Amino acid sequence: MLEVKGAARTFYPGTSDERRALAGIDLTLTEGDFCVVIGSNGAGKSSLLNAIAGKLKLDHGSILIDGENVTRLPVHRRARFISRVFQDPMLGTAPTMTVAENMLLADLRGKTPRLVPGLTAERQALYRDRLAILNLGLEDRLDAPVGLLSGGQRQSLSLIMAVSNEPRLLLLDEHTAALDPKTAATVMDATIRAIAEFGLTVLMVTHNMSQALECGNRLIMMDSGHFQLQVATPEKDTLTVPDLIERFHVKSDRMLLQA
Amino acid sequence: MPDVLLSFINLIPVTIAQSLIVAFVVLGIMIPFRLLGFPDLTSEGAYPLGGCVTGVLIASGYDPVFAMAVAACAGFLAGSTTAFIHLRFGINTLLAGILVMTMLYSINLRIMGRTNIALFTFDSLFKDLNPANFNDPWFKIAVVGTLIAVILAALYYLLVTERGTTIRAVGASPDMAEAQGVSIWSATILGVGSASLFTALGGGIMVQSQGFADVNMGFGILINGLAALIIGEAITGRKTVLRQLLAPVAGALAYYQLVSLCLSLGLAPADLKLATGLFVLIMLALPALRRGGGVPQLKEKIRE
Ligand SMILES: Nc1ncnc2c1ncn2[C@@H]1O[C@H](COP(=O)(O)OP(=O)(O)O)[C@@H](O)[C@H]1O
Ligand SMILES: [Mg+2]
Repeated sequence: MLEVKGAARTFYPGTSDERRALAGIDLTLTEGDFCVVIGSNGAGKSSLLNAIAGKLKLDHGSILIDGENVTRLPVHRRARFISRVFQDPMLGTAPTMTVAENMLLADLRGKTPRLVPGLTAERQALYRDRLAILNLGLEDRLDAPVGLLSGGQRQSLSLIMAVSNEPRLLLLDEHTAALDPKTAATVMDATIRAIAEFGLTVLMVTHNMSQALECGNRLIMMDSGHFQLQVATPEKDTLTVPDLIERFHVKSDRMLLQA
Repeated sequence: MPDVLLSFINLIPVTIAQSLIVAFVVLGIMIPFRLLGFPDLTSEGAYPLGGCVTGVLIASGYDPVFAMAVAACAGFLAGSTTAFIHLRFGINTLLAGILVMTMLYSINLRIMGRTNIALFTFDSLFKDLNPANFNDPWFKIAVVGTLIAVILAALYYLLVTERGTTIRAVGASPDMAEAQGVSIWSATILGVGSASLFTALGGGIMVQSQGFADVNMGFGILINGLAALIIGEAITGRKTVLRQLLAPVAGALAYYQLVSLCLSLGLAPADLKLATGLFVLIMLALPALRRGGGVPQLKEKIRE
């Protein structure tokens, strides 16, 4: 359902600051794939997700979703297929708008908004039910501005918003990294449940290696814009954290040699 | 009762009529600033634009309602030009507004062919509705008050529709809005354009009320409007869309009575802009002063 072909992007080309964020990447996800991406800082993980979402323009390569070439579509025209949760809890929600209004915006994702009242009684009831799954009491705060919520609550809300209306592709970029360990675990738990329940196709970036091994059916390790390692179940299930660390070390040794 | 107070009280109806007209401009300042996160200065040019277009058309024998409709369209064009300059070239919204406002000065002069037109002898919205008593301030209050009430009701309805909610989302968080499939371009152009539409409409009504159009009529309107908006938000608050929409009217009403009171108490008209400017400055500086006097980090750039 997602095909990335030869995606390449270099920042500041031809200068001493040249950075190859994506060095010609090929990636195919089939319906229901849950693909986890790991890699050191600056490996190009966020760039890959931004390129798929339309936030980052490619120098070369193409991106197809459900066979449709979306390479030239801007972010808002890809929202029909894609939803995402950002790393920064501040980015994924509108702080001055209420919980219900944020839910409405997610509900309208990829649809043409009409000139009819937005927050109908049925919708409010639907959002209350959707939020109740989280057990955070957000269902009773539909009229509260999102800016008043804690980071964990905002991120949980972002997640519920992202999985509402079952997007074709869900992009998660270290979406629990900014939270304290306990909240991070809660949000991750809700993430896994939602993905399983709706059978979503997911591309998830994480820096937590045991999480990368526990979740999903595919694993990709990125390094300076390349895929350094790609495994899928059943091989993925045999991997251990020490295996992954060894892979990281191979890379760091090479970096040391180059230095 | 002392004479000064008597003159103030006698002026109350005239001042209310004037402030209801300026409320259109305050609405045109509030919409980009508060609903779209787009601080905009186009009003200073869109207000005389509306006045000049209306004045010229009425003086050429066109129907006042038709003249105001054309003025409103011209205002929309001015506002959407400012939005386009910001979106397409990444130029700061304030600078984009200054560019448009400066260019509009020449355009307004071209439209009128001279610096002012007297309209006393021509048709007007007010004369059409009430030929016998068109200059009665209470009559003007009824007409303009009805008009702005209808516009606010329509705006309130629109802003809580599906489409209106997506437009407000662009102001609240552009990243989030974009990720939810909202086009920042169309929301900004539509929003800033509509704001200048209301401003120009205010200009068009003002020239009919005062009986002349003048290219310099916009001078200082922005700071007056901003002062009114600040007062209005202190009165109504900003918690809900409805309160935010009522702030321009409440603020315009209160601000112009305050100005009228100051003038009747002996403030020299020449000092009025200084006083208004100081008032706005103090209101804007209050948060920084309350925070404990440290100099805030400057992060504004000309290009963003
Ligand atoms: N907007 C940008 N401007 C310049 N360089 C960038 C930008 N975004 C990313 N980069 C560079 O591209 C490389 C990959 O970044 P990124 O995709 O954010 O890595 P990761 O998410 O794996 O940490 C890094 O070297 C980073 O400095
Ligand atoms: Mg990253």
